[in-house]
Amino acid sequence: MELPDKELIEKCLSENSDYFRFLVRRYEKPLFAYLLGRLKNRQQAVEAAQEAMVRAYMGLSNLKKPESFHSWLIGIGARVALELFRTNQRDSRNTNEIEGFAAERVGDVEDFRIDEVIAELPEIQRQMILLRYYESYSCLEVAELLQIPIGTVTKTLSRAYATLRQKLSVTSPELLEALS
Amino acid sequence: MNCNECQEYMVAHLEGALEQETDLAWKKHLSECDDCKEILQSFQELEFELKKRGPITADVSLVNPVMDRIKRIEVNKQSQETERSTFMSRLLKWRWSMGVGAFAGMALLILLVVFPGTNNIAAAAEAISRGVKAIGKLTSIHLKGKLRTLPRDNFSSIAPDQEFVDIELWKEFKPAVKWKVEKPGRIAAMNGETTILFIRPDYAYKIPEPTRSAFDTGWLLQIADISGSLNEELKTIEKNGLKTKVEHIKDASGNPKTEVTVEVKSAYSGDDFLKNTFFCTADTRRVYVFDDQSGLLTAARIYLEGWTDSTLLFELSQIDYDPEFASETFQIDLPEDVTWDRSGDILPDNKKYEAMSSEEAARTFFEACGREDWEEAGKFDTITTSFKTYYGGIKIISLGEHFTGMISLINGDEFVPYEIELRDGTKRKHNIALRRHQTTNRWFVDGGI
Repeated sequence: MELPDKELIEKCLSENSDYFRFLVRRYEKPLFAYLLGRLKNRQQAVEAAQEAMVRAYMGLSNLKKPESFHSWLIGIGARVALELFRTNQRDSRNTNEIEGFAAERVGDVEDFRIDEVIAELPEIQRQMILLRYYESYSCLEVAELLQIPIGTVTKTLSRAYATLRQKLSVTSPELLEALS
Repeated sequence: MNCNECQEYMVAHLEGALEQETDLAWKKHLSECDDCKEILQSFQELEFELKKRGPITADVSLVNPVMDRIKRIEVNKQSQETERSTFMSRLLKWRWSMGVGAFAGMALLILLVVFPGTNNIAAAAEAISRGVKAIGKLTSIHLKGKLRTLPRDNFSSIAPDQEFVDIELWKEFKPAVKWKVEKPGRIAAMNGETTILFIRPDYAYKIPEPTRSAFDTGWLLQIADISGSLNEELKTIEKNGLKTKVEHIKDASGNPKTEVTVEVKSAYSGDDFLKNTFFCTADTRRVYVFDDQSGLLTAARIYLEGWTDSTLLFELSQIDYDPEFASETFQIDLPEDVTWDRSGDILPDNKKYEAMSSEEAARTFFEACGREDWEEAGKFDTITTSFKTYYGGIKIISLGEHFTGMISLINGDEFVPYEIELRDGTKRKHNIALRRHQTTNRWFVDGGI
């Protein structure tokens, strides 16, 4: 089985920066999906995702809780997206483009909020969501991959759904902070 | 079934993974419970959103661009450490063809550690400073030497297991800069107006402007600035207390000379398997020979230590200071049937080629060669007559996934493993190196065929 984030980060800091590639591979899709939701533009989302990954690497030694790498990365992504948005705002007179930056709308959960909340899930729930929906494995394949019964996979996913549902009904304070 | 159980089974139900009996009990509970119905509805909405993620992110691949940037950051950090730009280390910083790709990324992070030893720094410094003073202001220079490499291969490619190949440089500093570097199969020249690369027998590439260096000749052109290079070496010796040795000898004609030897040891211990697989894990010895009478540097050698004992990699055997060159020195005699490289042309359908991955580019290129569509193949490589004879009608046996190596950090090459069958039935298995052109963004062949 693949190494958990914490070990990858330790190896990356103490042995070889090349271990960072496994973290990029693991989180490129959720990060991209999040940024695409924010920026509504594939090219910009790719650029922002690259930039966020590089910044994450540069700041890796400042990460206090390696278990929360995923949500920390999404936070960096939020800042990069905001910077990009502000640059666009300065550079562009095309108001449509500015509106393209998804602002929070009352009563309408923006789809990128899901990517944010997923990043805050407990590790095992998060891992299954990533494999099932971002990497598009079937539940059976996830079970085989993690060598656990399929019933455990579906139950864990149900619990993840319940947490997501609950968290999506309130606005995240981190998000508000990231955007302020 | 209670609400808790019902909610735990929800994903299993949505995935159709519940056994019949449990599914019936689940449905029964749901039909009687409004809370669970509401939760099911929100789960379905969530599932709908989540299922979009796979398709929209399917083609996202950040690993290579991100790791390239990170490696660059690391290399920059490293280059600010010891061994910044000393005389001979320039040569090896550029390219090391042995084992490239095998341990991609690993060796980049290893810094050189210098072991101070019994020392003659003062004597070495004296000989080197005298060498710098003796040169004064150069107007031109001519260098002749030999390097272990392949005759037609890249100028910065060094292969310790190959035979020696002659290498020669001419450079004029005044009135205008002009230069030429030549190996038996490859010549590059800048005549003050244009820069041309010629690879024997019939390939040529033109940059329509003067350049300070081009086609990976940078290391040799830097060495041609002898006083600058010697100054740098001196600084490094003094700063790091490198192990040096000074000997007084006589050359074949009985002229007295001073030989300064500088040793650099890597931080790798002798039993490490990476030892000597890269320059930064290798031990080297550099020898400078100064003429006692004039004080001038007359020869230089660089050895790789520990690679089957001591291997001479590069030798500068002749240095002419301020020679006068004939006017045609910086021109290249091109054959009539030379084929010019077109990788810089922007095609009408350039976008189609920009969108390709290196694997797709390799396949398109080989397939075009197979049906002798030289127009198409010419979008990836310069098609010379000799190329057509060799590669016309090939069949692809297999193409693998691309990989990158240490050299990719410097030039952006991606390598695609391939096996092809030539028209005469010969099979050829190798890696094709592809690089995106800076202005056209198309992949073009950079080696390996």
